[in-house]
Amino acid sequence: MSEDIEQATSVTPAPNEPQTLTKHDLNWAWFKWVTFFNCNINYERLTSSAMLTAYSQIPDKIYPNNKAKKIEFMKRQLEFFNTEPHFGSIIIGLTLSMEEERAKNDAVTPEAITSVKTGLMGPFAGVGDTLWQGTITPILLAICMPVVSSGNPFGALLYAVLIMTAMLSISHFMFFTGYRSGKQGVESMMKSGILSRVISIATIMGAIVLGCLTCNYVTATSSLEIAVGEGTISLQSTLDSILIGIVPLSVTLLSWYLLKIKNMSATKVLVILALIGFVLGITGLFGGAA
Amino acid sequence: MTISLFQAFLVGVIYYLGFVGTPWLMNLGAMSVIQKPLVAGVLVGIVLGDPVQGAIIGAAVQMPFIAYIFAGGAQPNDPGLAGTLGVALALAAGLDPAQAVAISVPISLVGTIINVIRMTANVGVVHAIDRAAEQGNMRKAVFLHIVPPQVICFVLCVVPVTLGCYFGVDAVAAIIATLKGRPLYTLEVIGGILPALGIAMNLRTLDRPGTLIWFVLGFVITAYLGLSAMPVAIIGFVIAFFYVNLETRFPETSQVAVGRTASAIDAATASDDSDDDFE
Repeated sequence: MSEDIEQATSVTPAPNEPQTLTKHDLNWAWFKWVTFFNCNINYERLTSSAMLTAYSQIPDKIYPNNKAKKIEFMKRQLEFFNTEPHFGSIIIGLTLSMEEERAKNDAVTPEAITSVKTGLMGPFAGVGDTLWQGTITPILLAICMPVVSSGNPFGALLYAVLIMTAMLSISHFMFFTGYRSGKQGVESMMKSGILSRVISIATIMGAIVLGCLTCNYVTATSSLEIAVGEGTISLQSTLDSILIGIVPLSVTLLSWYLLKIKNMSATKVLVILALIGFVLGITGLFGGAA
Repeated sequence: MTISLFQAFLVGVIYYLGFVGTPWLMNLGAMSVIQKPLVAGVLVGIVLGDPVQGAIIGAAVQMPFIAYIFAGGAQPNDPGLAGTLGVALALAAGLDPAQAVAISVPISLVGTIINVIRMTANVGVVHAIDRAAEQGNMRKAVFLHIVPPQVICFVLCVVPVTLGCYFGVDAVAAIIATLKGRPLYTLEVIGGILPALGIAMNLRTLDRPGTLIWFVLGFVITAYLGLSAMPVAIIGFVIAFFYVNLETRFPETSQVAVGRTASAIDAATASDDSDDDFE
């Protein structure tokens, strides 16, 4: 890590003219962003110092030998900031291009930079977390889980490779998109509806895969048999004849209802589920042979 | 199976490596890879000498956390702790996967304390970074961003997990032994339905009219065709792709689609509300 710091802060012997950022500078800024993103996450300003760290070599390039500008630059990055690190890296690219522009042209005000940052961080955090943690991750986990639960540890490696490849490609692409297309470009991309179509597709696909997961991994099986005359009726086969997996489906829909419609906290729903499980289990309606 | 102090320490290190914001495998490698019980279970299994059983238990413990979302610094529960301490205890005490789920979920709730302490302690660090910025000292600012929070985080992660693994096995084994029979089945029933919460939380984030209809479709094709996740994901993509394309093609409905950009953004900002769930 000390190597990172050295590289990050190495001062290039510079003339007083701002230098253009090279491809290497941009890649390095992106790498530091995705690597050190949550390092210093805190309740006061969340991930603001991650932005400063990502840009650590930038002020010496764009404000060579200008300490006052450098201090101003550093303070500007330390304002409250939080977004999603992969889709949200578009903001890191965009802000970087604005900072570079500001070094050449005072028309780009600090207020403009800050308002772009704070205006975009919420939308991209929401979109990004929904797609990354809420859609792509569960789908990849769902694909690899059967391999791992059959006792094959390499399924975990497969998952690691898939998620790293997918998210890092997205993050790199978004960073350079933000840097190249600038403020207008990003705003028009948000208005054009491309983003909303991607979200729609991912959302529908995600919901279908979640249905699959519910069926495969939420379990409630009954081994209760009720003696009726000569034979017995098994509770499980009765339930299956209505709809296979009716209990797991109902429990999941109930949880959704409590969370979304009743606005209950997840901890409350957890307690309710535990109570339902307790009642179903202790009465012998569900669970292993008594 | 017993856990030696050194093995307990290694499990603690796995927990640390998967903790939000450890840079060793990039932010993604911690949050999306090591932190997942699916992966942590295998690693814990390797440390304890049984990667196969570790994989089986880890995959089961993964389920309630399938849709885990860490956003805005708010942590609903801690899958990392479930996947390390939970899996280690389950392996050592010889639990089956459903029992492992039932003990891991309470552990994951306790784990949220660690992140609260960490994010509070880091406030001090960000003030030190402010002072470095006043002096224009970038080297110091970057050092402060990376090193001190990791020291704090390492201690906060490794100490409790090491102690928990080292002293927890007998306790868990004793509890499970006294619960033989119906109480144990009850524990398994609870462990079996808890994954519903993770899925429901995920469904709530997929904020789009008709989400539940797609969800039920996914459920029914899996229940009756017996498909695994990969084919269902592909079918889901095909359906979603054509549906969204058709939806945007027709003018009346495309109004809706444009409106959705705004609503997606609203939803994005609104999703911050859900962060307060567990506070």
